[in-house]
Amino acid sequence: MLLDIQNVEAGYGSAPPVLRGLSLQVEDNRSYCVIGPNGAGKSTLLKTIVGILRPRRGTIRFQGESIEGLRPDEILQKGICFVPQDRSLFPEMTVQENLRMGGFLIRDRRLLRERLDRVYELFPILRDRTNQVAGTLSGGQQQMLALARTLMIEPKLLCVDEPSLGLAPGIVDQVFETLTEFRKQGMTVLLVEQNAVRGLSWADWGFVLDLGALRFEGPADGILENPQIRELYLGRLAARGEE
Amino acid sequence: MNELQVLILGLLLGGVYALMASGLTLLFGVMRVVNLAHAAFIVVGAYGAYFAFELLGLDPFVALGLIMPAFFLLGMGLYRLLFPRIEGSPRFGEMTVLMTFGLALIIEGLLAFYFTGIFRSVDPPYATQAFILGPVFVPRAQLYASLTSVVLLMGLWAFLRMTRTGYAIRATMQNRVAAQVVGVNVRRISTVSFGIGMALAGAAGTLVSFIFTFFPARHWQWIAILLALIVLGGMGSLKGAVVGAVVLAVASSFVSDRIGPTWAPMTFFAALFVTLMVRPRGLFGKEIDR
Repeated sequence: MLLDIQNVEAGYGSAPPVLRGLSLQVEDNRSYCVIGPNGAGKSTLLKTIVGILRPRRGTIRFQGESIEGLRPDEILQKGICFVPQDRSLFPEMTVQENLRMGGFLIRDRRLLRERLDRVYELFPILRDRTNQVAGTLSGGQQQMLALARTLMIEPKLLCVDEPSLGLAPGIVDQVFETLTEFRKQGMTVLLVEQNAVRGLSWADWGFVLDLGALRFEGPADGILENPQIRELYLGRLAARGEE
Repeated sequence: MNELQVLILGLLLGGVYALMASGLTLLFGVMRVVNLAHAAFIVVGAYGAYFAFELLGLDPFVALGLIMPAFFLLGMGLYRLLFPRIEGSPRFGEMTVLMTFGLALIIEGLLAFYFTGIFRSVDPPYATQAFILGPVFVPRAQLYASLTSVVLLMGLWAFLRMTRTGYAIRATMQNRVAAQVVGVNVRRISTVSFGIGMALAGAAGTLVSFIFTFFPARHWQWIAILLALIVLGGMGSLKGAVVGAVVLAVASSFVSDRIGPTWAPMTFFAALFVTLMVRPRGLFGKEIDR
């Protein structure tokens, strides 16, 4: 098992918890999609896994090692990478500087150079814009840069929060193709997606979150066809996704 | 005085103000902390230079080499002592204002208790000399202080642009979450930044020790001026702090010369009001994210 989350409770400041005793398991080399209504705790789950939020209770184990309470940089070092919803680039730095920051933990200059070359090979569009300031890229390009940046440290588990948010349909296709490519490279991807149909048809396995706990899990295509879940959680989302 | 003379004096003053403001704006950029004790630490730096000169006979430019590292360490220690207590608080912003305000009061009280409220200044030989260049004179103390500021600010700029830690500091300034996401230890970077901010305050204090008079309560006036010029430049922007400092120092020199010295401080507050009304984020500032 790659990731084992048990009874995690987490939230912001002194507000009531968003995650209320959530448990779920992630296996190696699969792709997962987390769906659920707004406020279900999807983003909070990812932030808690990567250490931006500290769980108030519960345990998180990654490859058998306990990681709850570690700093984000320590968790990254263990091989869990995160792409937040707002893409979290450094707007005043160039594409190249952003990629180099992606490899901030790599102190070996030669390795850094190699990784950078590989990223440019996979994303020729970034090579063309290597000296452009990230803040001036289009939304789709920014998302590509944010995804490409994670390749700098070759994580075992990649957590992506709503990569399709605010992007044109054609660009969304590219984003999912990229995620498929990452899967082929041996990464396990844990995706949070508002567009449930899109996300579930891409993933192997689906998690349905509601009110801060896991309500259902199963093979992704099964979830799409389960009439009860469709009615309860996919309702309008599914309809929108199929338009 | 002729325009050139006023301009030169304003520029020299601006160089020193820029250094005084740099630590303040750096800290705001990295940590979103308005350090109201920043000017109080400048006063402490000035006292440090004063006693180094009076007791040890050290020229302020020699004392600079001791005060900066000492302040750097003091800053990191203070950060570790004070900030972890409030870091997780949902009212972090408000708490830092109260805490640094309290710190300023404590520092002022201690200075007044031990060193009294007497007006002081360091008096090296060049403090009262000037270069005469045709129609204008250039006070040597101001010139040296300003040039040293420029050198230190260029050093800071190079550090932020060229070192791994510098990249991490800029990354944290641009996007704190993103910095965490790529593996920057944001707490370590905050600690180092606080140290750097303090070293800059110590350096500024050393330089102002021989161009201004100082006393424990002097910091209130300075922090007001510094806040005005970093608001004009844009909170958290180093470029903004430098531009704001030079623009307002020159403007206040002209006000002082044409209208009268008592009106000079008004320049800063007028600029503060106009900035907040017309362009609250300042010249080079970003919209403040919540």
